[in-house]
Amino acid sequence: MGNLIKAEFRKILTTKMWWALLIPAVLLAFGYAFALGKGVTSIGDFIKNDGTLQKAGVNVDNISIGVFALSRSINITSVFPMLFGALGLSSELHRRTITTTFLTASSRAAVLSAKAVVYVLWGLIYGVIISGMVAAGTAAATGGNYLPDAGGFILILLAGVIECLLWTLLGLGFGALLGSPIGSVLILAIYAIAVEPVLDLVLHNTVAGILPNGAADGVTGATAGQILIDQLQSLAHSPLAQVMGPDNWNAFLFSIRAAAGGIGALDWWASGLVFLGWAMLFFGIGLFRNHTRDIT
Amino acid sequence: MHDGSGRIVVQQLTKQFGAVVAVQNLSFVVEPGSVTGFLGPNGAGKTTTLRMLLGLVKPTAGSALINGVPFGGLGHPARVVGAVLEAQGFHPSRSARDHLRVYGAAIGVDDMRADHVLGLVGLAAAGNRSAGGFSLGMKQRLALATALLGDPQILVLDEPANGLDPEGIAWLRQFLQSYARAGRTVLISSHLLAEVEQTVDQVVIISHGQTRYNGPLENLRRSQASRVLVQPSDANGLMTALRAAEIYNVEALPDGRLAIGGVEAKQVADLALKAGVSVYGIEEERVNLEQLYFAMTNGQYQAAGPNQYGPPPGGGFGGPPGGGYQQQPGFPPSGGFPQQQPPSGGFPQQQYPPQQPGYPPPGGQQPPGYPPQQGYQPPQGFQQPGPGGFGGNA
Repeated sequence: MGNLIKAEFRKILTTKMWWALLIPAVLLAFGYAFALGKGVTSIGDFIKNDGTLQKAGVNVDNISIGVFALSRSINITSVFPMLFGALGLSSELHRRTITTTFLTASSRAAVLSAKAVVYVLWGLIYGVIISGMVAAGTAAATGGNYLPDAGGFILILLAGVIECLLWTLLGLGFGALLGSPIGSVLILAIYAIAVEPVLDLVLHNTVAGILPNGAADGVTGATAGQILIDQLQSLAHSPLAQVMGPDNWNAFLFSIRAAAGGIGALDWWASGLVFLGWAMLFFGIGLFRNHTRDIT
Repeated sequence: MHDGSGRIVVQQLTKQFGAVVAVQNLSFVVEPGSVTGFLGPNGAGKTTTLRMLLGLVKPTAGSALINGVPFGGLGHPARVVGAVLEAQGFHPSRSARDHLRVYGAAIGVDDMRADHVLGLVGLAAAGNRSAGGFSLGMKQRLALATALLGDPQILVLDEPANGLDPEGIAWLRQFLQSYARAGRTVLISSHLLAEVEQTVDQVVIISHGQTRYNGPLENLRRSQASRVLVQPSDANGLMTALRAAEIYNVEALPDGRLAIGGVEAKQVADLALKAGVSVYGIEEERVNLEQLYFAMTNGQYQAAGPNQYGPPPGGGFGGPPGGGYQQQPGFPPSGGFPQQQPPSGGFPQQQYPPQQPGYPPPGGQQPPGYPPQQGYQPPQGFQQPGPGGFGGNA
């Protein structure tokens, strides 16, 4: 098993794909976060200059609307670890290196487990780098304003790492299931970019949070939303949920999470579990398929 | 665990892909210490059989055992069996050395081994080049190097000569023979007997997914039937004499000669002398191995009538690329003898009907060896015409 993990690492490091996907991921993470960071800064500044909230005794600097930039940028950039995962096994099937891979391993199960371990690690690597670049981009744009405290900041970045990791696994499983690198990359990208947003509209956001992309976005979106809500709560005199009533409260939660990129998102932990379920489902079917597949 | 015998045992192996039966009830044994040729026309099920042996394809029925266990039970399979398969891929941008280090890591051998096997196959200078830029022959060498990484007891090669130049083939031949002489097992597949004839000691010949012959090549050579072609002054007189000697396998050829089966030239000459018939010419015509092989394996995709295809449309199937053999009009496309003497018309093929059961034929006291024949070149590249036979495996 250790040998196979070493072999899988070498497979990745002896070809270009890992940095060919990592470089645009870094650029997009920083650039997108920087742009959104500028956006939230100007909104924050506008509210501050407007003075209405200040007169009401609310210090706008204490409301970290910068979390929107963090969570949305992570959501967008997580497409890269997804693609990286999607190519993990499908490109071996496509290039037929899978034959040699199976011939040099004690069992297919061992190969597939080693791949899982290695891609989890690579998902972490992508997640850490992407979250770091998003943090840097946001911080550079906001100049440190409108950002949560260290605890909240780290929480969102952690959610980002988990999201990247799970996308990598889901991609790996989906690619393994489909067996075609181009097919799996296209289908995953089109699904995340076009199909699910349309579904969200058609289905009135009721199921968005339990669909794969919605659940993934919910991991960061709900985390970011939670931080904002906690801050607002601390500024209010009585529990917001009680004051608003259940319907308004839910609408409020929905709006905050949607603004953070997680339309219809469940709570962050529920989103995480649902997305984990999707990732494991595809991963499981994909690996099972290759456990029995005839390699001709 | 496996028994370390180096023996490959295929038992009643069957594989169906949907409605297509690729391999049917195939059984054979490959012993260590010799190079075994696994022969059959394209589409006969060779590749599928090898892939079942290597655990890549799951048999529908039967078993393929290496050292007494299925591939999946070998534990460290690459240390027991190394394989060079067709359609075995390389990442185009990964260097040859990196490729070997990846799989060397998987097998658990030292990184030095990668350079060692590169040297073994003559690719030492190309180690840093990416495999995508390799010629077919270099890819074959790299595939062999990969197979050798684990220093396996058994080598399985599917059409290894594909893409190799003559020098490469000669090198491979020597390499495989010395590998086998070291007490290891070598199994190589080919659709051309001539291609591996000088390399292999044992042959397994399959057709239609079934075993046609399994044994030493030498026995196959000995089983070659021959017939005597004689030009008598009086054909009828000689025929009468032959019948009197209870020799009935006689056939008049269009050029006036007689073709007599199951006899030796000396016998015919003696009979002719006794009958007072002059003999203007006599020769023994031998069926070479390639012809035997055709007879054993043909018919798989045989067209009903005579050859419906015209002459090869430049680099297509069929006709031998160079060499003395010319396909002549009226020559049966398969099943008969390729002609050895241009002027004589096509032989009727009753003596070697296509797919004769129970082949090889009895009789034929042919001395061992493979005598070069009059102007006849083993038809390199000759394949049975038919939809499945056009280099499909290449």
